[in-house]
Amino acid sequence: MAVPSGPTVFVVDDEAPVRKALSRMLRANRFAVATFASSKEFLGQYDPDASGCLVLDIMMPGNGLELQRVLQKKGCTLPIIFLTGYGDVSKSVQALKGGAIDFLTKPVNDQSLLRAVRAAIEKNRVTRQEQTQVSEICSRLAALTPRERQVLEHIVSGELNKQIAGHLGITQRTVKAHRARLMAKMKVDSVAKLVCLANRCGITGSSS
Amino acid sequence: MNAAACLTLAGIFFVAWCKQRDSWVHLIFSCIALAAAAIAVFELQLIHADTPQEYGAILRWRYVPVWALVVSLVGFTRLYLRAGRSWLAWSACGLKTLTLILNFISTPNVHYREITALRQLSWGGEMASVPLGTPNHWSLVNQVTLLLLLAFFIDATIIVWRRGDRQRALLVGGSIIFFGVIVAAQVMLVVWGVIQVPFVSSFAYLGIVAALGYQLCDDTVRAAQLARKLDASQAALLKTERDLEIAASAVGLALWAWDIAHDEVWLSNQARALYGFSPSEKLNTQRIRRVVHPEDREVVRKAVENSLRTGAENPAEYRVVLPDGRIRWVARRSRTEFDSNGNAIWMHGVLFDVTERRLAEERFRLVVDAASAAMIMANKEGRMTLVNKRAETLFGYKRDELIGQPVEMLVPERFRSHYVSFREGYFGDAQARPMGAGRELFGQCKDGSEVPIEIGLNPVHTSEGLCVLASIIDISERKQAELEAARQRHELVHLSRVTMLGELSGSLAHELNQPLTAILSNAQAAQKLLAGDAVDVSELREILAEIVDEDKHAGEVIQRLRVLFRKGEVGHHFGNLDINRVVQDVLKLTRNDLVIHDITVETELAENLPAVQGDRVELQQVLLNLMLNGCEAMADCDSSERQLLITSGMENGAVRVSVTDRGGSISAERMERVFEPFFTTKANGMGLGLSVCHNIVKAHRGNIWVTNNAEGGATFHFSLPARSQAQKNNT
Repeated sequence: MAVPSGPTVFVVDDEAPVRKALSRMLRANRFAVATFASSKEFLGQYDPDASGCLVLDIMMPGNGLELQRVLQKKGCTLPIIFLTGYGDVSKSVQALKGGAIDFLTKPVNDQSLLRAVRAAIEKNRVTRQEQTQVSEICSRLAALTPRERQVLEHIVSGELNKQIAGHLGITQRTVKAHRARLMAKMKVDSVAKLVCLANRCGITGSSS
Repeated sequence: MNAAACLTLAGIFFVAWCKQRDSWVHLIFSCIALAAAAIAVFELQLIHADTPQEYGAILRWRYVPVWALVVSLVGFTRLYLRAGRSWLAWSACGLKTLTLILNFISTPNVHYREITALRQLSWGGEMASVPLGTPNHWSLVNQVTLLLLLAFFIDATIIVWRRGDRQRALLVGGSIIFFGVIVAAQVMLVVWGVIQVPFVSSFAYLGIVAALGYQLCDDTVRAAQLARKLDASQAALLKTERDLEIAASAVGLALWAWDIAHDEVWLSNQARALYGFSPSEKLNTQRIRRVVHPEDREVVRKAVENSLRTGAENPAEYRVVLPDGRIRWVARRSRTEFDSNGNAIWMHGVLFDVTERRLAEERFRLVVDAASAAMIMANKEGRMTLVNKRAETLFGYKRDELIGQPVEMLVPERFRSHYVSFREGYFGDAQARPMGAGRELFGQCKDGSEVPIEIGLNPVHTSEGLCVLASIIDISERKQAELEAARQRHELVHLSRVTMLGELSGSLAHELNQPLTAILSNAQAAQKLLAGDAVDVSELREILAEIVDEDKHAGEVIQRLRVLFRKGEVGHHFGNLDINRVVQDVLKLTRNDLVIHDITVETELAENLPAVQGDRVELQQVLLNLMLNGCEAMADCDSSERQLLITSGMENGAVRVSVTDRGGSISAERMERVFEPFFTTKANGMGLGLSVCHNIVKAHRGNIWVTNNAEGGATFHFSLPARSQAQKNNT
């Protein structure tokens, strides 16, 4: 099945009638739906860029929780809504720990599922947006020279120019020049904004 | 001279009578002769009478011996000739006695009213007195008496003549009539004065006496001759009797005879020994009756009565109490002889000792009575000839109510017709065997209730022909116990099934939730579609069709569950089953569980398997149990190793199903115990699953066993007897 470009609800269930009925209901509520008979089939057509959410039967060949683990490893951001026929506490805890957005019991009411699906898609949208921002910041970071990068790390650590110069064994004037250049490259006008961007990219400070 | 001759004869026969007291004929003859002598004396005096008064008196007294003579003659005739009508005899004697009385009332006597004179005339060279007078009209009575006497004697004579004893008829009867008529005629003629002669009837009486005397002498001579002959034959007779006795005793027969008129009983020595009488004791019926056991006296009395009436053999068996108190069983048979008038005169018979047989019968009866099983013997006609105590208590009838009755009365109405044809078939090929193999049999009690029984049949050849001895055992208690055991097994099987289904419940809930999910989502999709502007009818139609399908699916799931949870009735709901269907049903039930446990199942089911007889649910339970066991055995295996193989096929005429897993092997010690109750290797297992499987399979007359696989893991098998073609045709 071709993956649509917009946010899509991916339904994985081993039983065709359930699959069909769920997708029909979601489509009736104007969601794009893609269905898969097993985790294997889903993984086979997996597109990391796909947006939307995953509706997964916890009891199916290949095991729902197993698929969740595999997708996490792959850095998949699609939120997962688990469906189960039987309220199993240990399984639901495991699923929620693994980042599942919801855990619904079959037969599932349309309102509950739609609410969960909407929430999941919204979450996915936010996540994806953030991801876009972070990747832009990262590309800005990538434009820094190694020395500029070093200076940045010390700034995030909260050091003054004098201290940086001392650590790096360069003059204060040189530190100031690097600082001005990297602020320009990162497109920020204050140290506070710079630290915020660096944090989002996982730079927490000099490890010296 | 006349009187002397008569007296001599009287004396001789009186002596004869003295020697032989029961010979009354001789005594009577003595009386006759004596009377004749007296008459002769009186007549002699009449001849010499001087006055009419004297004459009348003598004539009166003469009548006494005449009366005596006549009565004696009548008695003699009755006794000696055994003839003459008794009414004639009695009336003649009566009238004669009346005449005698009249003779003494009238004066001078019964012959004359008065004697006027005596005429002397010469008679035989002597002077004799002859009376002259008017005859007494009472002498008519005398004449009537004479006529009666004549009739009596003639009648008696004719009887004797006809009897063939002509000599006696002529000598005794003839002489009495001949001389009697002469006497009567002479007396009448003299009295009426027709002839004038003295009374000389004594001569005629002498003739009678002579004739009778001759006859008696002749008898005595003949008797003496007979006695001599008898002496000779007596010896021969005794020998014959002894021979007969020896022969009779050789075959165990004792002889007896009964002289009914004299009530004398003769018993052979053998018979005396049988009864415990001494050889010399004189016996009659009273004496014999005393030794018969009091309880059997009625039996004997009836037999004798019947014999007396019909003369037939009338066998009877009775007890005799011997002097030392021992009891002996005796059987009798008799035959009766009758005289020409149909009166029983003799009864002869045989006796034999049947004590041995009776004791054997008694022992047999005691043994049969002591038997713990009810026993009934029936003849070819199906009538009961023997019934023991247990049979009485089992059926509630008294022995008397059963003996001679048809056995059918103990068979419930609905089996009767079948029973009759069975009995006829049995006598065609009689051999010891149980009755109604494989079928349940019932007996009908007196109170109408039915009792489950088991019957063993034995042909018995008796003197009355082929009989069948049935020993009957009341199996109601056993039936009850069997029922109780079945009920307990049923409870356990159900409990175990419910427990197992509890383990499966997650999977089962999922199974049910799938169609419900599909239905709900479809329905809500339809609602949403209808809320929109453009309604796609074809999609709605599709949705409804799917809802219907899924609803059916859910119904099937519930149906399957209901069947499994059902407790059912005690006893089997056995039907013909296709074992492959059972395998497929169980696969459907466990599909989700297998998926969760990541187990793949392969099947190799043989086609065209014969049907087996069984309870579908219980067999599903067995297979389910074996499969879940297999899954658990593979819990620690790598997911690629988690494979279950289910196969079916024919093996030694039985249908076999095997479940192979790839888990661990079972040690030899455990292998022997896996089917025992409460044997488990699981941390939280009850150890009932396999033992219940074992119970179920055994109740289906099948086998269950386990083997280790060469490539690891174990295989559980169970086999059930296949229904043969013949059985199929029967049902």
